[in-house]
Amino acid sequence: MKKGLIVQVIDIQFANLPGILEDILRDVMTEDTIQGCDYDPFNISSQIAVLKDTKILICKIRGAIEDGKAKTETSWLPSRTNSRIVPYSIEKLASTRNGKRPVTLGRTRSDHLTVDVKMLDGKLNIITGKKGVGKSHLSKLLILSLIQNGAPCLVIDVNGEYVNIGRTKNDEPTAYADKITVLKPGQSLKFGLSGVGLKTFLNTMIYALDLPRTSSKVFSRIWNELERSGNLKLDSLNDAIRRFSCHESVREAIYSRFNTLMDLELFTDDISERFDFSLFEKKMNEGHAFIINMKDEHAISRRLVVELFISKLTEQLSEMRLKAVFLFAEEAHFYLRETYWEDIITRMRHLGVFTTFITNQPDTVQESVYRQADNIFMFNITNEHDLDAISKVAKIDAESLRSIVKDLPAHNCLIVGDIVRDFPIVVNVKPLDIQTMGQTRHFFQD
Amino acid sequence: MTHRTQDIGFEHSKISMLLSEESGNILLPDFLLNLSSESMRTLGGGFFEPREVTTVEGELEDAVEEEPHLNLANTTIIDEPAPIAKVIGNCTVAAVDVSSVRVGESEQGLLYALRGALVWREGLSYNFTRCGPLAFHLNDLIARSLNRRSRANDNLSYSAWSPLSERLLSRLRNTLERWMQRLACSRLSRGIVLLDGSLTAGTPDNPTVYLEDILNRSRENGNAVIAFSKETKLCFSGKKITRLLDKANYPCMLNIDRIITPQFPSAPVRLMGRVYVAKLTSRGLPFRVDIDRQLSEESAAKAVGRLINSDIVEQGYPETLRLAHILSTFTANEILAIQRHLSIEYGLKLAPRLSFRRSLFGPYGTSTEAS
Ligand SMILES: Nc1ncnc2c1ncn2[C@@H]1O[C@H](COP(=O)(O)OP(=O)(O)OP(=O)(O)O)[C@@H](O)[C@H]1O
Ligand SMILES: [Mg+2]
Repeated sequence: MKKGLIVQVIDIQFANLPGILEDILRDVMTEDTIQGCDYDPFNISSQIAVLKDTKILICKIRGAIEDGKAKTETSWLPSRTNSRIVPYSIEKLASTRNGKRPVTLGRTRSDHLTVDVKMLDGKLNIITGKKGVGKSHLSKLLILSLIQNGAPCLVIDVNGEYVNIGRTKNDEPTAYADKITVLKPGQSLKFGLSGVGLKTFLNTMIYALDLPRTSSKVFSRIWNELERSGNLKLDSLNDAIRRFSCHESVREAIYSRFNTLMDLELFTDDISERFDFSLFEKKMNEGHAFIINMKDEHAISRRLVVELFISKLTEQLSEMRLKAVFLFAEEAHFYLRETYWEDIITRMRHLGVFTTFITNQPDTVQESVYRQADNIFMFNITNEHDLDAISKVAKIDAESLRSIVKDLPAHNCLIVGDIVRDFPIVVNVKPLDIQTMGQTRHFFQD
Repeated sequence: MTHRTQDIGFEHSKISMLLSEESGNILLPDFLLNLSSESMRTLGGGFFEPREVTTVEGELEDAVEEEPHLNLANTTIIDEPAPIAKVIGNCTVAAVDVSSVRVGESEQGLLYALRGALVWREGLSYNFTRCGPLAFHLNDLIARSLNRRSRANDNLSYSAWSPLSERLLSRLRNTLERWMQRLACSRLSRGIVLLDGSLTAGTPDNPTVYLEDILNRSRENGNAVIAFSKETKLCFSGKKITRLLDKANYPCMLNIDRIITPQFPSAPVRLMGRVYVAKLTSRGLPFRVDIDRQLSEESAAKAVGRLINSDIVEQGYPETLRLAHILSTFTANEILAIQRHLSIEYGLKLAPRLSFRRSLFGPYGTSTEAS
């Protein structure tokens, strides 16, 4: 084949041949009332049966093959009389042959789909689809492939379902178990005040706890004074707030919020209990996954922890102490402040935070994320409103997207983007021998 | 009475045997089968322009012109239609219909397909055997072959106006139709055989011998042959003759033979049936009905009376015949299927469709004209 147009089947329908309905009705209506036999010496009737079941394949042009090379853009149309239609497995195009970091995502209709993990590097990704279709499963597969290739990952796990990805179904540690660390806020994850820093602390008070502007200025002064005198401890901060000379209402405002934060038990003065960000940095640089188990965490705690990590990461990345980080954020709207979305896809991305958003509520992900996403993994979505939301994806036309995504069986996802070299492809994600713990909780156990 | 039932039991097996008949040459003359294959072989993988089938083309069936238009002047006094009296007792009703359709065009000729259906009602159930589709490539070969077979001396003047292909087609069609009618008349006894059209014969493409044979066999078996014309060209003082029953609101039939026969003074064309217009149900449609002329008028009336008791005649048309029609006619998709069969079986290449009409008139040419 010298030259060819690559088209992809996006939908299969029964061909709407003229009068086909009439034929079918005729069959159904005479079926019960009359029986008999056909003497059809040339067996032409078999063609009628073929024709009645004729299907029409709705296709989209995805590219062309010229001189044996596939390209995604084309302005060329083949002859419609002298051309032939030949099956061409699109996974051949989408797979990254000879990739240095191959990972098999699963099977297409005809073959395995193996891509290069490098295609997640520097990218913004979305995994979406309705409940229970396998989003987290795919995300786990990606995380495991990344750490296998020495990449650093930070996972914000709102349901505590990533905590055992280092153990097999038989509860034995996997080969990568020592490259996975689970952090539980309040237990293995506690911070000293200085480690958190005024900015993050204050931001939490302002954004999560609605601390008024004037009060926030007062709080900054208190914090700074304590820091200067080398006395930034929980007790002294508590005392300072109570004793600081200011309007009673301001003090009350600060104090109530401070107490709320203290109740989260995220803070400690004991150095040995504090989370060691320099060890974090070291491990990350060696290829490691940190999983922050946010299950049952208070909303404010979630926000605070995320905000804290984001500012820490920003610091470490801009000082070149960290090379990059692959951030996996499940249901980010629960903890990601409005103002951070834009930051994540612009400034932080340049610094080296490569985010994968995972959600079953596509409309909670900001539109700009869809527009800028480099890779989108879409599982089944039937809700019209959700389909509208994902139609904002720039990498595929809305018509193909809708028609494919609506009919996807569980564990199958449509991938568009760089990772499949811009050839949209449906893959049945492979199973994993790890404890996924992703099952929705049920009351009835049978 | 017992004797009768036994008879029916016997008949039952005789016509029903068609359902399990092993050999096709009972249903279909070998000669037609061979002619079909031979004519199709002459195609030899050439180009083929399939007929475009769209739902716009309502009537796919290519009716073959059989009868001249006749307009009878209003000089005769018309009798009152006679009411049809139901005759108690059921009999088996059989009906035959054959359809032909043009499926395309080769470089040398037209391609047609034929299909015939024989339907019978026994007790309450309807059964059928159907044969075809048979495809024919209308060309010289067929013409020669048909001429050789033709026993009657061709009187070409009668329908010389019709183009050769149309005449070939009507001969082929007639061959199949008469064959199946003969089958029905021989397999049935003391029943009613319904035919589509009239009982007119005597043209080169519709010779008298076959119809005569059919009627003879039928009489031997005690059957009555009744033919229904879906459409009639006979007019009486400017109106379709069926309008003569406009005022009748009861099942009735009107013998119009007296006014028709003088119009066919002599051979070759022969009216082998007595011509009536009949309305089988009070609110049904009227049809031209031909009944075997050798049945007495009384027997003819009885036969019709027995028909309305033995078959469903909703809308004034016997269900058995309606089913035979439905089963034989081709739908748009069946035509597509035949076209597909032809291109696979005979390696026909689809001619690129360059419609002159389209290129000349653009979207203003209608689709029916495309043929
Ligand atoms: N490709 C797969 N092969 C085998 N099992 C799978 C696969 N994908 C998902 N599963 C299983 O299906 C169940 C649901 O998967 P998962 O938790 O990934 O769904 P989800 O889309 O993240 O659901 P939710 O919307 O509730 O977060 C889990 O038990 C998981 O182990
Ligand atoms: Mg999930």
